[in-house]
Amino acid sequence: MTVELSPLTAGHAHDRGRSLLTVLLILFVLSIAGNLIGSILRYPNIGSAVLFPPYAVLTAALAVSPRRHWIWLAGVSVLAHVVTFLFGWPLSWLLLANVANTARALAAALLLTWFLSGLPRLDGVKALLLFAVAAVVLAPAVGATIGAANVVLHRHVDSFWTPWMAWYVSSALTGLTMIPAMLVVFAYAGGRRRAGATGRRVAEAALLALALAATCGAAFLGNFDGPVSLPLYALFPVLIWAALRFGAAGASAALTVAVVVAIWGVDRGVGPFRAPVPEDNVYALQMFMLFTSAFVLCLAGVAAGRKAVVDLHGALLASVHDQVAVIDADGEVIETSDSWRRFAERSDVPAFDRVHVGDRYLALCQAVAGGRDGTAARIADSVRSVLGGERRRVELEYDHRHHDAVVGSYTISVEALARAEGGAVVTRADVTARRQAQHQIDEQRREVFHLARVAVLGQLSGAIAHELNQPLTAILSNAEAARMLLRQQGGEPGEIAEILRDIIAEDRRAAAVVERLHALLRRGERHLQDIHPKELVDDVLGLAHAELVSRRVDAVALVEPYLEPLCGDKVQLQQVLLNLILNGCEAMAASPSPRRLVVAVGADPAGGVRLTVRDHGAGIAPDLLERLFEPFVTTKPSGLGLGLSIARSIVAAHGGRLWAENNADAGATVHCFLPVVAGPTAPAIHSTSVAGAVEV
Amino acid sequence: MGHDRTLPARVLSIAIVDDDAGVRVSVSRLCRAFGLHAVPYASGGEFLAALDAGTAPADCLLIDAHMPTMTGFELISQLLARDVRIPTIVFTADATPAVPAAYVAAGISNYLRKPLPAADLMAAIESAVGGA
Repeated sequence: MTVELSPLTAGHAHDRGRSLLTVLLILFVLSIAGNLIGSILRYPNIGSAVLFPPYAVLTAALAVSPRRHWIWLAGVSVLAHVVTFLFGWPLSWLLLANVANTARALAAALLLTWFLSGLPRLDGVKALLLFAVAAVVLAPAVGATIGAANVVLHRHVDSFWTPWMAWYVSSALTGLTMIPAMLVVFAYAGGRRRAGATGRRVAEAALLALALAATCGAAFLGNFDGPVSLPLYALFPVLIWAALRFGAAGASAALTVAVVVAIWGVDRGVGPFRAPVPEDNVYALQMFMLFTSAFVLCLAGVAAGRKAVVDLHGALLASVHDQVAVIDADGEVIETSDSWRRFAERSDVPAFDRVHVGDRYLALCQAVAGGRDGTAARIADSVRSVLGGERRRVELEYDHRHHDAVVGSYTISVEALARAEGGAVVTRADVTARRQAQHQIDEQRREVFHLARVAVLGQLSGAIAHELNQPLTAILSNAEAARMLLRQQGGEPGEIAEILRDIIAEDRRAAAVVERLHALLRRGERHLQDIHPKELVDDVLGLAHAELVSRRVDAVALVEPYLEPLCGDKVQLQQVLLNLILNGCEAMAASPSPRRLVVAVGADPAGGVRLTVRDHGAGIAPDLLERLFEPFVTTKPSGLGLGLSIARSIVAAHGGRLWAENNADAGATVHCFLPVVAGPTAPAIHSTSVAGAVEV
Repeated sequence: MGHDRTLPARVLSIAIVDDDAGVRVSVSRLCRAFGLHAVPYASGGEFLAALDAGTAPADCLLIDAHMPTMTGFELISQLLARDVRIPTIVFTADATPAVPAAYVAAGISNYLRKPLPAADLMAAIESAVGGA
């Protein structure tokens, strides 16, 4: 039966009160019935029952109920016992028998709830073993000790151990066969479990009950006269069926039926236990049922454990969002998650993604790769290297394209399967959304970079006008001089040629200014190229020239010769340097002349280029040294404080580092480390490497 | 044009102080084309040195406002300190339309913005020299 636990705290006090009444009522009825069944067959001399169901009934009721209800449960159990046996037994015997019964059940329930922590669920070998120790081995000893004393007191039996053994075996048999089923009964009665049985399960249970009735009848009520009691064996397939399909509770229910029928048979003198000595029959019956129960319940435990694993396995495969396939050492798919299967059923995915259980994944990838599919070849290589034991885990990314447009981005990881037979787990994750988000972030970041550039150039607009006006002045003056000379017809052709040459040069100079400006103002895609450090410094100092002059800043460039070219986005790096230079100027705004700004570029021992901008201003307050690179932190009266944070993002995107230090003498130095990446053909600096770049 | 005709018969000597070689050369060339004697200097220091050496007889000074090491204004201050009084025109590549207060205070009224057409330049020289 499909059984679920409901939360212990569920339900109102009213419901709990009603469920206690239900439990007490069921306990009372089952205890009366159990007492009557117990009276069917007793040890002839000792008088104790061969099977004593009230033990199982009370133990189960206690084990699934809260401790504060135990007093009520014990009371009802005693009441049922007294009601059944009031006539015909001495009061003292009755009293002591109830002490023995209650003590036994309490011991069993305490041990069960302690061992199995809370609500006992017998759904595995370990749980069943603990159950057996508590309710079959230990608790019966408690009952047997008091019960045997009772027998000795009232029956004048010489030996203490004979009644002790009878009590013990009877309790053990009762506990083993009946408690698992009773636990379920009381779990339902107390509202601790909810039933969710399907029609098919109910039909199967009914069929099982019929088969059980038939085989029990044949086994215990017939008189088969052969050397071996063959009908007895007919019982086993039915019990195994119950164990495999209905767990410990189902097996226990079937065993309870079997033992009751067997007792009835012995009592009537029919069935396989028909020895001349009555004690022998009781003993044989108990041993047969004990070992059968132990075997059947073990089987139930193993089956329940296996079912739990299979259910978990199935749930896992159904639930994982990423698409998972397990392949064996030959590259054949042996298991897939539901998400993988659904993906493989899509018609718009490449052939190497349309694989199902039983398909040869590796061979398929290789076949597709033979058709010059790069992705398939990469997957095939990864799978082969993991299956071959060369690598434990390989991860790769690929895109699905449709008419040259990327329609989906995926990552595939191939990981060795940790088992002796080998194999691998292939996990495919759809990262399209993440990619798109990343793309959007990149775009927004570029936009911010661009806006920051526009802002910096706004700061420079006066200087830029100045820078353009110089060549324009030269061109105008030259042109007017030439016109004058031509009008006077006194000019030599050589002089006119010289003037024209200068005009052309000045025009080019103006064009260069416009070009530099345009590059910085452009909102282009990230464009990686080789950049020579000297060129970078010269370009930016050229752009800032007029500003430096007007701010009375004496800028010096110290560029080490023979530096490796950098790979990066030229415009972005210019932006960084321009920012640092303008910050340096700003830092010296209040300083007396000479205001020296040193821009130095040299090889960094860490294998890259170190660019420093050193000013001779007031320096940076120590607590600001690091915070200066956070957005909206600024020392300037006007300014948003985004420049350095954006500069750091750009440098980080180039795999570099940007930080500030105060100089020993005066002012501060901003250091920029940039790694030298081999050539513009090197893999694009991946946007995910921009740690914390989206600061703005 | 005709401005040259209104100039005095003696050939006027114009000293042009500008750190930008292109501007310095072209403006000198323009002045010569208009029949003036033009001497270019790359910095204020260079001009002062020539002045001290007595090799800079200038009737009019044409000074760029923005120069490294010594700005146009500093040069004017130096000249004032030495009590050298030469009609002076300041020109600047700045886009700012207003004449900086410091220049006004120093008595400089000829403050021109680059690029400056020849007619304007000649008129400025004429007025500076004439007003002197």
